[in-house]
Amino acid sequence: MVNISINGQKIQAKEGANVLQEAKDLRIDIPTLCYHNDLTTFGACRLCTVEVKTDGAWKFAASCQTEVAEGMEVLTDSDKVKESRKLAAALLYYKYPGTQAVRDIAEKLGVEVAPTETDSRDCILCGLCTRTCHEIVRADALKFQDRGLGRSLEEPKIEFISSACIGCGSCAYVCPTGFVRMEAVDGKRMIWDKVFKMAVCNNCGRYFAPVEQLEFISRTTGVPVSNLMTCVSCR
Amino acid sequence: MAFSSWNGKIMDNRTTGKGAGKAKKSAEGAFPAQLDGQSFAALMGWNGLVIVDPKADVVALTLAYLKEAKGLSCGECSVCMIGIDRVLDILKKMAAGKGDQYDLGEIEEIVKGVMANGKCNFGRATALTPVLDAVKYFKADFLALPKAEKKFIEHKDYRSAVTAPCMNACPAALDIPGYIELIRNNKFKESLDLVRERCILPGVIGRSCTHICEDACVRKDMDGSLAIRLLKRSAADQDLQGGASALTTPKVEKKEKIAIVGAGPAGLAAAYHLRRMGYQVTIFEALPKAGGMAAVGIPDYRLPKDILNHEVDLIKRMGVEIRFNSPVELLNWPDLQKEGYAAAFLAVGAHVGTKIGCKGEDIASDDVVQGAEFLRNLSLGKRAAPVNKVVIIGGGNVALDCARNCIRLGYKHVEIVYRRSPAEMPGSKEEIEEAIHENVKFTYLTAPVGIVRKAGKVVGIECLKMKLGEPDASGRKRPVPIKGSEFTLKTDMVIAATGQKPDLVLLTGKEKVDMTTTWGTIKADPRSCSTAVGGIFAGGDCVSGPATLIEALNMGNKAAKSIDAYIQGKTFADDLTFEGIDVSQQRDMGFVSPAKTGEVKFLEVDERLKGFAEVEGGFNAAAAMKEAQRCLRCYRLMVWQ
Repeated sequence: MVNISINGQKIQAKEGANVLQEAKDLRIDIPTLCYHNDLTTFGACRLCTVEVKTDGAWKFAASCQTEVAEGMEVLTDSDKVKESRKLAAALLYYKYPGTQAVRDIAEKLGVEVAPTETDSRDCILCGLCTRTCHEIVRADALKFQDRGLGRSLEEPKIEFISSACIGCGSCAYVCPTGFVRMEAVDGKRMIWDKVFKMAVCNNCGRYFAPVEQLEFISRTTGVPVSNLMTCVSCR
Repeated sequence: MAFSSWNGKIMDNRTTGKGAGKAKKSAEGAFPAQLDGQSFAALMGWNGLVIVDPKADVVALTLAYLKEAKGLSCGECSVCMIGIDRVLDILKKMAAGKGDQYDLGEIEEIVKGVMANGKCNFGRATALTPVLDAVKYFKADFLALPKAEKKFIEHKDYRSAVTAPCMNACPAALDIPGYIELIRNNKFKESLDLVRERCILPGVIGRSCTHICEDACVRKDMDGSLAIRLLKRSAADQDLQGGASALTTPKVEKKEKIAIVGAGPAGLAAAYHLRRMGYQVTIFEALPKAGGMAAVGIPDYRLPKDILNHEVDLIKRMGVEIRFNSPVELLNWPDLQKEGYAAAFLAVGAHVGTKIGCKGEDIASDDVVQGAEFLRNLSLGKRAAPVNKVVIIGGGNVALDCARNCIRLGYKHVEIVYRRSPAEMPGSKEEIEEAIHENVKFTYLTAPVGIVRKAGKVVGIECLKMKLGEPDASGRKRPVPIKGSEFTLKTDMVIAATGQKPDLVLLTGKEKVDMTTTWGTIKADPRSCSTAVGGIFAGGDCVSGPATLIEALNMGNKAAKSIDAYIQGKTFADDLTFEGIDVSQQRDMGFVSPAKTGEVKFLEVDERLKGFAEVEGGFNAAAAMKEAQRCLRCYRLMVWQ
């Protein structure tokens, strides 16, 4: 255990834990758009920023990517923190003014948000879908199409690798803005630009999972597909 | 110099404007005075603004800088990418004659916010930092636009360059943050492709490079450098495990033939790039194997030869012909030209051991050998029976390679004798450490003076104790003999690993005079690889003397560009250098949460000594992606006029 203080409150934190999780455990509200308990942290949205003091000086840090350290002092609601979060939110709102999730958080953090009719559901590059696909599903169908030296993409975006997608829908579930859309029609599931044939439950006869997903599970676990043909409710 | 804010130090020699005349004197090295040996009128870089010509247009320079910065922002964190966009939009609005001082206030606020809250060093140091200096100290220039006192003119003659502390340290200037970023994004193949642009032996270099890039890593003094070499290796390993990708074959075929002498790193790199451009390339190799020192110098336990052979095969499959066992005994340039060769690249390496300079070493015998020769024979399958005790003279990597090989070959006692102290030892720290684990004995501050023989067999080596004196030309402290300290070290064999030079028998007559140095190396331009003879180029160890694989490989990269320029009748343009600019400088680092570098497994010593199995394990994909997360992306951008 390590001794840290959050907003003056002295606590014992688990070694290796991040500041965001410790603050959440104390019921301190810290806004996030790219954080998920079950995934590695990414530090993309910069909304969870806090002030930390380690070697005498106060500095900004993304709390999700800051590991607790003995003697660390943290401020989660100083004026500077509020200003920094507001700026990050204002920038997100500037870029994605029609995306509800961004509008909500920007408004909450004090950004003046103008009314709008549009519902643009933009991708804000939070990386929740890419991390879910890699770390949880292990299908690696979503990757950042990135920029940097010598590459000349106008805007970074998420690359969908159709051949690797198993249609599980986890990305749509975890997406905070509704950018990833998933639709179901007549025994088919449409996700990104790929159409999946749905399997029927042996017991209740309802569509319950894409055939490709069952085949993927079978491949990775060694269980024959025929043993996987029962839906969660009937199992 | 009219103005400089380099590294946050303001020097203002203007007659108007905020802070004018604050400092008249400029300390040397306080700001970049030249770029690539040339002067400039105005420069905006990650670390500030330098205005030489007072008439330079700071507004246009700022816009040009932001456009370049936009292309480098990865988009992974919101503030940097959107911050650049927002500042660009505000400035464009001002350039269009709209806006006021509140806009400049907003720019200041955004820049400070991005510097404090950006995820990586690109956002914290490079993306917007100098823009703050521009709007702060050249406020009037910006405000003149909306007041219609000045019309915005977009200049097109700006040049730009990008480096990073690691890139700048790398002899081949690999885009290290770039390929690490691709690994972080689970794009191993794309990462490998990026590495291959400048390093065509990624698996080889990923195992055996001296990685001076890691010494320049900004995280070095925080929680340890990125494992850059191992990340490169992981890109190569993942590709090999996934079925191995081929190299791109040329789009167009060119008729010109090019002869390359030597299939070492320099020769192979030149061959790859020339073949990619479409040239018909033939490599003449004296040995039955390709790879040069990677094949017959670096031991198998550091570099399994199937890795090297695979990477050589890929180059061969592009259509590069390698003629093995084909030493060029005499370089007859007119004859080669008659055979249709348009250019020749000499990359014969430095494979001849130099003398230790002690009595009795000239007597030909099996028990006094040269280090390079010892390693070469071992690689070519010529093994002599191990003896009880061997003494290796020298402190470089060749000495260490010989010692660790001897341990594996079953030599009972292996001792390295070095004339200076551990601090001056040029061999890599990792290898010294592993050699100690493997029971190699080190004797420092000791120099050999004579080989002692009994009945024609070596029985010992007479030595002198040394002490350290003043530093010599290399900057290392000079060893000075201690009078009367002679003693004899018992040994059955001596390996001399004190240096190598090239074998230049292929040069004779006038060419020999024109093309060689007093050091016994080939005289060639270090940037273009051109020699005194038109059409003949040279690079690698035969020009530089014994150096690292990556240095030789980079000379091959340069030679290919230079040969292409020669054949096409164009001027050779080398990469820009950042000489005289401290790329490690950065105004504020912000907070970096400590994260330890990923560890790799090393083979147990018992297992190692059974043979020549690879000692160091690599990162698997997950470990590589985790390590790649630690990269701070310290890209340094400069835009100038």
